[in-house]
Amino acid sequence: MLSLLIWIPILTAILVCLCPPQHVAGPRNLSLVAIGLTFGITMLLVFQFDPISILPQFAESHAWIDRLGLTYRLSLDGLSLPLVALNALLTWVAVYCTRLDVPRPRLYFCLLLIINAGVTGAFLAHNLLLFFIFYEVELIPLYLLIAIWGGSRRGYAATKFLIYTAISGILILGAFLALAWLTGVSSFNYDLLQHQHLPLTQQALIMGALLVGFGIKIPLVPFHTWLPDAHVEASTPISVLLAGVLLKLGTYGLLRFGLGLLPDAWALFAPWLATWAVISVIYGSCTAIAQKDMKKMVAYSSIGHMGFILLACAANTPLSLLGAVFQMVSHGLISGLLFVLVGVVYSKTGSRDLEVLRGLLNPERGLPLIGTLMIWGVMASAGMPGMIGFISEFIVFRGSFPIFPTQTLLCMVGTGLTSVYFLLLVNKVFFGRLQVPIPAQMPSSLFVLPTVEWRDRAPALLLAILIVVFGLQPHWVLRWSESSTTALISSPALVAEVDKPTAPILPRVPAI
Amino acid sequence: MLTPTTEYPLNAYIQRLLQGQALLPDTPNNLLEVVGILKSYGVVLDAYSTNLVYVADHQFLVLFPFFKYFNGDVSLKKLGRHLWHDRINFEYAEYCMKTMLWHGGGGLDHYLDSAEFVALAEKAMQAKTKGNWLVQGLNLLSSEFLLEQVRQLAYYSALGQFWRVMSDIFLTLSDAYDQGKITTIPQVVDYIQAGLVAAANQPITYAVTLDQQIYDLIPQSAGLTFLPDTAIPYVESVFFRGTPFLGTVSYNAQAHEISADQASFQYGALYADPIPVGGAGIPPTLLMQDMRHFLPDYLHQFYQKTQRGESDLRVKICQSFQKSMFCVTTAAIVGLAPHPLNTQDPQEQLANQHYLEGWLDRLATSELSTVQWTELDLAAS
Repeated sequence: MLSLLIWIPILTAILVCLCPPQHVAGPRNLSLVAIGLTFGITMLLVFQFDPISILPQFAESHAWIDRLGLTYRLSLDGLSLPLVALNALLTWVAVYCTRLDVPRPRLYFCLLLIINAGVTGAFLAHNLLLFFIFYEVELIPLYLLIAIWGGSRRGYAATKFLIYTAISGILILGAFLALAWLTGVSSFNYDLLQHQHLPLTQQALIMGALLVGFGIKIPLVPFHTWLPDAHVEASTPISVLLAGVLLKLGTYGLLRFGLGLLPDAWALFAPWLATWAVISVIYGSCTAIAQKDMKKMVAYSSIGHMGFILLACAANTPLSLLGAVFQMVSHGLISGLLFVLVGVVYSKTGSRDLEVLRGLLNPERGLPLIGTLMIWGVMASAGMPGMIGFISEFIVFRGSFPIFPTQTLLCMVGTGLTSVYFLLLVNKVFFGRLQVPIPAQMPSSLFVLPTVEWRDRAPALLLAILIVVFGLQPHWVLRWSESSTTALISSPALVAEVDKPTAPILPRVPAI
Repeated sequence: MLTPTTEYPLNAYIQRLLQGQALLPDTPNNLLEVVGILKSYGVVLDAYSTNLVYVADHQFLVLFPFFKYFNGDVSLKKLGRHLWHDRINFEYAEYCMKTMLWHGGGGLDHYLDSAEFVALAEKAMQAKTKGNWLVQGLNLLSSEFLLEQVRQLAYYSALGQFWRVMSDIFLTLSDAYDQGKITTIPQVVDYIQAGLVAAANQPITYAVTLDQQIYDLIPQSAGLTFLPDTAIPYVESVFFRGTPFLGTVSYNAQAHEISADQASFQYGALYADPIPVGGAGIPPTLLMQDMRHFLPDYLHQFYQKTQRGESDLRVKICQSFQKSMFCVTTAAIVGLAPHPLNTQDPQEQLANQHYLEGWLDRLATSELSTVQWTELDLAAS
C-alpha cells in the first residue's frame, strides 16, 4: 500500500512524459488525478492507522542491495503520517495553482510528480540509505523547476539552492555512513540502528554533521540564505511545495535520525539547539520586518517559524515533540496559503513590492477576497486563537517552557514579531487607496486589474478552511502522532514492552 | 487688443466650449454612458425627491423620526425590507441636503438667516411644541436648536423641489434618446440647459400643515426661485465642494489633510475619486448602489463587456456618473455665461474668456482630465 504513494506519482510522471505535445491540458489533468489518488490512499491509511500503536505500521520490506545494507523498507508511524498527508495535499494544490499556459508542461508536471514521490519516500523510508536516496531525488527536479520556470535571477537562486542542498546531502550521507561504520552493523535499517549505542563523543560528531545537514534544509540561521532567493525566484506552486513540505524534510530528519538515533548527543546539544532556535526565530522575524518583497517576507517568516520546531525538538518532552509535529503541519498549511495568495497578488498586479502596492482590499477594483484570506493567513501565522497556528505554537511553548524557560520566552517574542511584520504587510498592501503599477500617464482610476477567477481563489480557500478546522479540532491531527512522539523519547525497552517488537532489544539510555 | 488669451493652459477646453462642444468628449460610448446613467439617476432622484419633500412636510420637528424613509407607508413588510436593506439609500439624499446646508450660498441661505424666516419658523415651532413642556423647556435652554432643525427641513424641501425638476429632465432626456432624438453629447448638454432655463424661475416655497393650519416657512413672497437659489448652490455644494468621505481622508486635524477653509473644499462629485466606491457607508457607494438597480439594459450590457464585468459595476457607474455631471456642469456654465458663447463682439468674447477661465481654474484639479480618456486612448496605453 505504501509503495503506491511513491510509485503512482512516478508512473504518472512517465505517462506525462509520453503525453502528446498537442494535448496541452493532459499533463496537468493526469497530475491532478494521480496526486488526488495518492491523497485518497493516504486518507485510507489514516483511517486504518492505529494511533495507539507506537510501532511502524503498513511496513513493506524488500531486499535491494544487501551488500550496501540498502533495503527497500517503508513504514508509517505517527511522525510521518501527517507529513505524508500534507505532502499529498500541498502537491495537489501546487499542481492546481500552476498556470494553465505553463511552458513545457510535460517536463514541469513530471518534475513535480517526482518531487512528490521523493518527499513521500523520504517520509516513509525506514532505511537510512533509502531515506537519503529519496532525500536526494527531490533535489534535481526542484533545481530544474527553479532554474527553468523561475524569475529573472533564477539561475543564481537555483545554483545556490543546488550547492547548499548538495552539501546538506553530503553531510547527511557522511553521518549515516559513520553511524553504520561506528556501530558495526551491516544494515542501514532504522530499527536496527535504533538499538545500537555509541559513545557520546561519536554520537556528538555524527550529530554535528546531521545538524548542519538538516539545518541547511530547514533552514536554520546561518545556513538559510538559499531560501529567500529560492522563494523569490521560484514560481508560486514551487514556493508552496518548498515552504509547505520540503523544509519539513529537515525537521523530520532531525527528529527521526538526530533525536531517534542519537539520544545522548541530542541531550548534550539540546540547550545549544534551543538557543539556536531563538537566534533563528528572532533573526528570521527581524529580517522579515525589513523586507520590501512580500514573498521574501513570507520566506523569512518561514525561517522564524521553523525555529519553533527546533525549540520543541530540543526540549524533547512528549508535549513539545507533539507540538513540533503539529507545527510542521501548521506551518505547511499557513505558509502554503500565504504563498498561494502572494502568487495571486503577483499574477494580477505584476508586483510584490510593499512600497508600490496599496489598498488591494478595495471592494470593487482590488482583490477583496484574496486580501481577506491574506489577513486570515497572517492571523493564523501570528498565532490567533481559533486557528491552527495558535494551537501549534501554544503546544510548542507549553511543552518547551519547563525545560528551556528563557529560550521559550524569547521565542515567544518571535510570535509577537510575526504580528509586527505581517501587520506591516497587510497595512501597506491591503489598506488605503488602491495603488498598483500602471502604465505611465494613465489615470489610476481607469486602470483595471484582471479579474480574480474562482479557480485562483479555490486553493487558498481550501487551505484557509483547513487552518480553521484544525485550529478548532486539533485533535484530528494530533491523535495520530501522540503515541509516536511520546515513544521517541521513551526507551526502546519500554517500546518493546508495549508493542513486543521482534528486533533484539539493546539497553539504551533515555534521552532526558 | 481685445483677443482671447490663448496661452491659458486649459484653453483647449475653452475652445471646445466656444465651438459648442461639451467638457466631455463627444463619443458614442460617452453618449451611451451619460444618457443611460442619467436615466437611472432620474429614477433615483424621483425617489429621493419624494422622500425629502415627505420628511419636510410630514416629519416636521419629529425629534425621533424612526420611519422618515417610509413615506408614510409603515407596514411590517416594508419594515422587513427596510431592515434587510432592500430599499433606496435615502441617506444619500440627506447627505446632499446637509452638504448644501453646511456650505450655504444663494438666496435660500440668506433667507433662512433673515428675521422674516425666524419669525415664521417661531410660529410653526410654537404650534408644533404646544403642550410639549419638555421640548419647550429644552428650546428655552438652547434656543437655536429647533430653529436650526427648521432650517434643515427647509433644505429638505428645497432640495426635494430641485431634484423633482432634475429627475424629470433626465427621464425625458432618456426618452428622447430612446426615440433617436439625442445622438451627441452637445445635444445632451443643450437638452439639460433647456430644462434648467425652463425651470429657472420656478418658485421654491415651503409650508407645513399643523393642526389643519398652514404655516408658511418659505412663502412665494420670499422670491426664491429654482436656478439661483437651489440649482447654483447645489452645484457649488455637491458638484464642487462636497465633504470628505470617512475612511478616504484622515479626519485628524493634526494630519492637515482637510483644509480649514471651507471654500477650498474639493470633494464634490466632479472631484471625487471613484476607486473607494464600494467602501461601506460612504455617500458615493450609497448613490451608485441605488443607481445600479435602475440601469437600462443597454448600459448594463455595456458594463458587462468591460474587463471586470459585474465585479466593479459601482465604480464604473460612478465614472459614468462623473461624465454625466460634467455634461450638467457644461450646461450650467454655458447657461450662466455673461454673453452667448458664439458672440462676435470682442468685448463679450473677452468677458466670456475670463468667465470660462474662472470655471476651468476650479476644474483644473477635478476628474476633468480623466474623463477625456476614450476607449481608444486606453487601448493605446
